[in-house]
Amino acid sequence: MNRRTFLKVAGMGSLSFAAGCSKPEKHLYSLVKAPDDMVQGNGTLYASTCRECPAGCGILAKNREGRVVKIEGNPLHPINRGKLCMRGQAALQGVYHPDRIKTPMLKENGQWRAITFPQAEILIKNRTDAAAAKGSNRIRMLTEVVGDTLLSIFNDAMRQWRSPEVLIFEPFAYESLKRANKEIFGINGLVSYRIDKADLLVSFGADFLETWLSPVEYARQFKQMHAYSDGQKGFFFCVSPYQSLTGANSDLWLPCTPGGEAIIVLGLIREVLRTGRDKNLNENIRKKIEQFSSFYTRETVVKLAGASSERFDQLASHLIQAKRPLVLGTGTGGGGENGFHTDLAVNLLNLVLDPDLPTIDLGSRHRVEIAAEHAQVLDFFTKLQKDPADVVFFNNVNPVYALPSASGLREAISQPEQFTIAFANFMDETAERADLVVPVKLPLETWDEYAGKHHLISTLQPAMGKLTGAPDLGGLFLRTALYSQKTSLNYKVAVFDQLHNGNGLKGEAEWVQAIQHGGIFKPPAPDTLKTITAPKLELLNRFAQSMQSISKSVSQDMVFIAAPSIRFFDGRGANKPWLNEVPDPLSKVAWQSPVLVHPQTCEALNIEQGDVVRIESQWGRLNAPVYESDNVKAGVIVMGIGQGHSGYGRYARNFGSNPLDLLSSATVPVSGGRRLWIDSVKIQNTGQHQELATTYGSRIQHGRKIALHITTEALAQPKPAKPSGLGMWDFPLTLPLPEGYDPSRDFYPPIEYDDYRWAMTVDLDRCVGCGACAAACYAENNIGIVGEERVIEGREMAWLQVERYLDPDDMEKVVFLPMMCQQCDNAPCESVCPVYAPHHSKEGLNNQIYNRCIGTRFCSQNCPYKVRRFNWFEWKWPSPINLQLNPDVTVRSKGVMEKCSFCIQRIKTARNVAKNERRLIRDGEVIPACVQTCPTDALIFGNLMDTASRVRQMVADPRAYQVMGYINTKPAVIYLKKVRHVI
Amino acid sequence: MADMESANTNTLKNLGLLLVVGITALFILLFLFFYYSGPSRAFGPEQPIPFSHNVHSGVKQIQCQYCHPYVAYSNWPGLPPVEKCLHCHNYIIAKHPWIQKEHQYFDTNTPTPWKKVNYVAEHVLFNHQRHINRNLSCQECHGQVQNLHRLPHKHWYMEDCITCHRRMNANMDCWLACHS
Repeated sequence: MNRRTFLKVAGMGSLSFAAGCSKPEKHLYSLVKAPDDMVQGNGTLYASTCRECPAGCGILAKNREGRVVKIEGNPLHPINRGKLCMRGQAALQGVYHPDRIKTPMLKENGQWRAITFPQAEILIKNRTDAAAAKGSNRIRMLTEVVGDTLLSIFNDAMRQWRSPEVLIFEPFAYESLKRANKEIFGINGLVSYRIDKADLLVSFGADFLETWLSPVEYARQFKQMHAYSDGQKGFFFCVSPYQSLTGANSDLWLPCTPGGEAIIVLGLIREVLRTGRDKNLNENIRKKIEQFSSFYTRETVVKLAGASSERFDQLASHLIQAKRPLVLGTGTGGGGENGFHTDLAVNLLNLVLDPDLPTIDLGSRHRVEIAAEHAQVLDFFTKLQKDPADVVFFNNVNPVYALPSASGLREAISQPEQFTIAFANFMDETAERADLVVPVKLPLETWDEYAGKHHLISTLQPAMGKLTGAPDLGGLFLRTALYSQKTSLNYKVAVFDQLHNGNGLKGEAEWVQAIQHGGIFKPPAPDTLKTITAPKLELLNRFAQSMQSISKSVSQDMVFIAAPSIRFFDGRGANKPWLNEVPDPLSKVAWQSPVLVHPQTCEALNIEQGDVVRIESQWGRLNAPVYESDNVKAGVIVMGIGQGHSGYGRYARNFGSNPLDLLSSATVPVSGGRRLWIDSVKIQNTGQHQELATTYGSRIQHGRKIALHITTEALAQPKPAKPSGLGMWDFPLTLPLPEGYDPSRDFYPPIEYDDYRWAMTVDLDRCVGCGACAAACYAENNIGIVGEERVIEGREMAWLQVERYLDPDDMEKVVFLPMMCQQCDNAPCESVCPVYAPHHSKEGLNNQIYNRCIGTRFCSQNCPYKVRRFNWFEWKWPSPINLQLNPDVTVRSKGVMEKCSFCIQRIKTARNVAKNERRLIRDGEVIPACVQTCPTDALIFGNLMDTASRVRQMVADPRAYQVMGYINTKPAVIYLKKVRHVI
Repeated sequence: MADMESANTNTLKNLGLLLVVGITALFILLFLFFYYSGPSRAFGPEQPIPFSHNVHSGVKQIQCQYCHPYVAYSNWPGLPPVEKCLHCHNYIIAKHPWIQKEHQYFDTNTPTPWKKVNYVAEHVLFNHQRHINRNLSCQECHGQVQNLHRLPHKHWYMEDCITCHRRMNANMDCWLACHS
């Protein structure tokens, strides 16, 4: 080495050494202008409306430094009253989705080319102008359910282009329910139900806890009537071929053959009339009804509907005894003839039970009623095929996924002579077939209004800065079609005008107030029901005739049912990582779409759980793994709708299969809808095996003290004395407070607390298992998404998961138990950590100190509740989904243990406010994310040191117990036993 | 003779080795000196606009909260938006090239890329609000900022927090105090 080389090497070495050592310099970017309502580091809430389904719940979007980091329900909104379902929570991931289309895409020779937004607008304008110049009826449009403002702009534009009005497409359009309401109540629409007012509820498949009409609203109402309080608890019966989540919450499930529901309703009508339970019914009508229902004797019903006679009797006798019964028809998927007959008979039964209909609100109507019937949608595509239009618009709909390929719509969409424009933010199956895809602003980014019920007009406002240059759809239509008609081409002005002219808002001040409150909430229209005294005779004649065909529609063969999904709705949720990662409430399978098969059927077919079967109908076939489920009737196989996308981004593509592929696309003439089930399917073992991505260890509790229930009878008994033993069942409830210290049991000294000891109560009687809490937890706490493979390895990261246990004596009975860190006073995790990473805080919380953790995983091994999660990998947050991360919560890295913190960041926020005001934190001031969103108020959080706090009152309940309390962990999560009726 | 020669070459070799080691050590020492106590370390990084805390806070006696307005309401004190600088500098030395640069940021809607000088580990959430509302002055932690033109780098360590929290008998809880 000569001197020169040495100097070179030494110089380079020291330079690279210096560069390697210093951390890259960071920048602090100052804003150019600071918004008035923004305090850096504090969230600002913007009231808006959830558009993940047509229900129209009010939301508050929490904006931090320009980006929305969390969505919560708007407490002022009458529909959801501050609560949200898991789909609402996950709406956020649509905005920050890594596969969101950022610029318009034009298809040229089968290749996509990005163009600019002005180019796209000019293209739309030129195309539509040329089409309109050619003649009338050259442009068609299919849209999702939208607000009145947008709808009227669409229709003005279509008129301008001399084309027919837009068609509103919803895969779940409730055709049979609408027609049944028209026949019996004279209302061609969807009325609201007052489940809270009923003392007995019967559902013939209506899955009101999941997707049906307005699930958050009905879940709340359901628990108002069905939760145990003051010694009272309403009854809920479910009649259906399979238990949806709603069915799993019933007191008694009456399994029936698909198509048998209507027969059971008629049997019930007969029983009601026979026992004279009917009220104020016109004698002629009574006779008529009696006449056609007389055929449906108990024996006939049992035989035709494949129901158990014992359970039918129980249902009938409870219905007859009930004071304010409410009967609901078929579920979201009940569009077939059986759905229509059932809904018709159910309306009649409600009328027979009480013509005043005290539990039905005819004046308050769900907006989704404006959706077109399936027949009209098919007609739209048939017409397109026969007479191709020049321009076809699709607004945020995915008919290619939702309608079976047999309907010929794929060909209709991609006809070469027609220019198809899809307004979509994701490359879904429909957008892929379009010629031009134009992303538009998502609901969180735009001004709008949407009335989930006609009298509850919710407003939308931009809750965040722009992530893409996308325009709002209203503005785009104003500029391209209505530029010569309207004075303002600003969509916000159109919304403003709509609220002023259409909804009686006066002046700017009222507008601002409406935006702040999240809408204008008027009382419902006067109830028109009093005018309906009785159904008309001629209707009953028609009904009697149509009922004759009923017994034919009952199926005895192997039936395949496509079930609307609480996670994906009609498939639109499938691209959200949270919705995939949070498992299905009943099967507890994440990322996959197994087919649910009864164990008896499995045995008959010689298949086991995890075997991949091929299911074939005359319309299509699919392969899917089997999940053995006791919640379906033998001979019925069920698969959730939503997965099996061929496009729609990285989280949806090639996950699971699409059950709609097996169905016929034909419209059922009597209902105008379509059947979501098909009989005579062939099922065959392929010999392959697929590991299911389940998150449960066992279906049953093996006799341990985990998810407990008690009967109403046992509760009515005098309270037993407080037990004082050391066994599983006689170990006393031991509060995590100094008073819970007992020298005869405790090894460690008592832990003293000053002002606070945080705790939570979970009322299992209120928990419906919907999983909204789990999704909210993912959103709030930056929990990693691990994906299908890692879930199979058991490495899911959920801090809170809703555990599902079946009753070994009666596997149809389900208990749900939200399980999160129990914040024990004698925490087993704390005593085994070699580095003190789990640390007991002075407010009772079990703090996990991430930067101290060295990853021995001893704590997880020693935790009896299995709530600790280890970061086996660095989880990915593909840009820009990382923008959703909550800045108040540390993002954990590989090799670190983590777990529920009771939302410590929220405790700290409340503490800050209290300290500034020199007072203690008030009860109810700290609301963790799970508690905040629970639609049924099953979770309550508070301070055990405050004897007046709600949580302290709740632990005095005779139903209170601690999960595995007998190991003396003194958990701070206190469960209240589920209450079961003895039926 | 041959021995003599080999002894000479050995000495030469040893001398060469010594020289190599010596120069290496010199380089390392120089590097360490400049890395840890070079003049740029004392001054802190060069900012996009040579803002002087001394002029604003020391000479002109502008309150810290005027430019860091959220310090009593939030975890973060906040940086002044470009707009705020121009509230005064539209009138004061408006034609100065640095102010012209500020105008450029404003006109082109560009956030000013200030260089960060105070570093706290990412798993720590320091809450300014709590400290200011306990009547701690900014200087108690940040030093005599009003005497400095350019702020130097400062890394905060857990020891700094713990020492003070012990002394003031403040919250020592992990999550409640600093982490989450």
